[in-house]
Formats: sequence, C-alpha cells, structure tokens
Amino acid sequence: MENSTSRLILTLTVIGVISALVLTFVFQWTTPLINKHKAVAQEKAIFSVLPGAVEIKKHDKNGNTFFTGYDKSGSKVGIAMVTEGGGFQGVIKLMIGTDLDQGKIYGIKILEHQETPGLGARITGEEYKSNFVDKPFGSYQVIKKSSSNPLDIEAIAGATISSKKVTNIVQNAVQEIEKAFGGGE
Amino acid sequence: MNQVIKDFKNGLWQENPIFRLVIGMCPTLAVTNTATNGLAMGLATSFVLISSEIVISLIKKLIPTNVRIPSYILVIATFVTFTDYFLKAFFPSIASSLSLFIPLIVVNCLILGRQEAFASKNPVHRSFADGVGMGIGFTWALVLLGSVRELLGMGSIFGLQILGEWYRPMIIMILPAGAFISLGILVGIMNLISRKVN
Repeated sequence: MENSTSRLILTLTVIGVISALVLTFVFQWTTPLINKHKAVAQEKAIFSVLPGAVEIKKHDKNGNTFFTGYDKSGSKVGIAMVTEGGGFQGVIKLMIGTDLDQGKIYGIKILEHQETPGLGARITGEEYKSNFVDKPFGSYQVIKKSSSNPLDIEAIAGATISSKKVTNIVQNAVQEIEKAFGGGE
Repeated sequence: MNQVIKDFKNGLWQENPIFRLVIGMCPTLAVTNTATNGLAMGLATSFVLISSEIVISLIKKLIPTNVRIPSYILVIATFVTFTDYFLKAFFPSIASSLSLFIPLIVVNCLILGRQEAFASKNPVHRSFADGVGMGIGFTWALVLLGSVRELLGMGSIFGLQILGEWYRPMIIMILPAGAFISLGILVGIMNLISRKVN
C-alpha cells in the first residue's frame, strides 16, 4: 500500500500543487519590486551617460529603443540607447550616450555582463570606461599601450578580448544611432 | 535538550560540511571569490537548508519511500525559487552577483544530503538544530574561504582595502584555480588542528 502507484502519484501531485501555490504568491509579491529595480537602474544609467539631462523621452526606431535627453532649458542633450553583444563569456549589455551634433560619445555604462572577476569585469571600472568619454565617432582601434590617437581604445591588461568586445558593441551602437538619427535630425 | 545542542554543534566543526564532509562544493568553489559573496551564498543556502529540513521532517511520514528524493527536490526547489525572488526584490546588488548560483542551490548536495541523512529520520526540533548548525558551519567556511581569496587576489576583505599599494594582487586567487588551491590548503590546516586536538 505504501508504495502503490496511485499513492506515489498523489504524493507528488499534492506537493507540486502546494509548491505552485506558494510560488504564485511569492511571484505576485516580488515582481513589481523587481521591475521597479530594473526601471530605476535603467533610468540611472540613462542620466549617467547623458550629462545635464533632466528629462527623457523614449522612442522606437528601426527596431531599437532610443532615449532622447533634454536639459533644464528644454534643449536636446543627446541620444542614449541600450545595446548588447557577445563578450568573453556571455552577453554584455550596456548603455551608451551620444552627442549627435558634435559627433561624439558622452560615455558608456555597463548594465550586465559575465566577464571574469578581476580581469574582464574591469570593463565596469572608470579607467576603462573613460576610454569612451568624449570619444569622436569613427572607427575604433583597440591597442595595448597608451596613445594619443583619439580613435584608439586602451585595452585592459590581461583582458584584451573583453576590451575588444565592448569596443565592438560601442562601434555598432554608434552606427545604429547615426543610421537612425543621422541626416540632421 | 543535550541532544539538540549536540546536533547543533555537529555542523560547526565535527562534521563541518565543507572542511569535513566536503559536500556542496559547487557553490563553495564558484562564488567564494570575495568575502561578501561567500557570506551571501552561505546565508541563502542556510535559509533553504533550515526551511526544508523543518518541512521534510514534518511530512516525512506522509512520503512513500519510492518517491522521497523527488519530493525532497520539490520542497527544496520551492524554497530556492522563493530565495531567488526575495533577493532580487530586496537585495538587487547581492542578487546580481550571485545570480547564476542561486538556482544551483537546488542541487547542492549538502541540502539533499541533510534531508536524506537527518531530517527524514529525526523529529522537527532536532532537524532544526541540525539545519542551523550545518548552515552556520557552511557559512563560516565560505566566509573564511572568500576572505582568504579576496585578500590574496584583490588585497581587500569585505571590499575594505587591507593591503596597500605595494601589494601586487595574485589574480589567480579570485579565478577558479584559486578556489581549489585555497580549499586544499584550508582542509589541510583543519586536519592538522583536529589531529593536534585529539
């Protein structure tokens, strides 16, 4: 009787149903909070790559979502977008802010990544990200030592691949933005 | 009462899950690159361990032996999913650094092992004591391992810079290989201490 088939099925079904009920409750309780954290993190990222912006307008174009930032007087600061691409391990997701009028990048912020801690993970550090601050649009070159060429990106020692991957993602994002907003908008 | 205290103390040293039983190695090796990660992983695992030991000890008589393992896994998975959502909702920064490893608690053999070896045979109060003891034993071991690796690999503990500019971090210590090296040395030290004590 103990191990009859119906008893086994009944036990697992009961446990499964109780578990599902509990998790449904937990899911409903936490999802709004989780979404709020995500939205806050994204908003913070937008403001951090569009210096001086106080208001943001979201719009979709060519299948991408762009954020246009406006400053206090209502004039346009620049355009930000979320973009992603393959890293050394897994996907790197980052936010990039650009100034189309002057044709330069304001800066980037890494949102998600799975790079090696201590090596590739340093793409989130200021030292590497500063590579992209006020960088003119163009064709970027990743190099291993410091240089004065404005289009050169200095690689992180021991993490050349991660450095190159991020540069590629940025390069593609710049092209997307130019494609969507180029031609004097 | 004495029995409960004995059950509790068991996990701290005598049968410490990491240094003595050497179980639950996946999170041990994977997330202990900093002391903070070790602590968070230890606490998350302890929570799942204690809750599932209580529940399984309560329902042990209702579960037919043929399906006990799937039943345990279902109970454990429920608590793990709960922990996952809870951390994401209330501690997003810890959740993001542990992200991949929380779901893996389900198959942490420390948890399933304690259900099979303890909770399924003993009353609730003793299972609770065992869960707390094992949880603390697991947590302190992870924090120690994390601290050693963070100190040697980044010169800090809990994010506080301890070693100065002169120290050249040994990056290998925060990579997977460093986990094996430090774990091996720590287990060796523990054995040495036990032998001296005896």
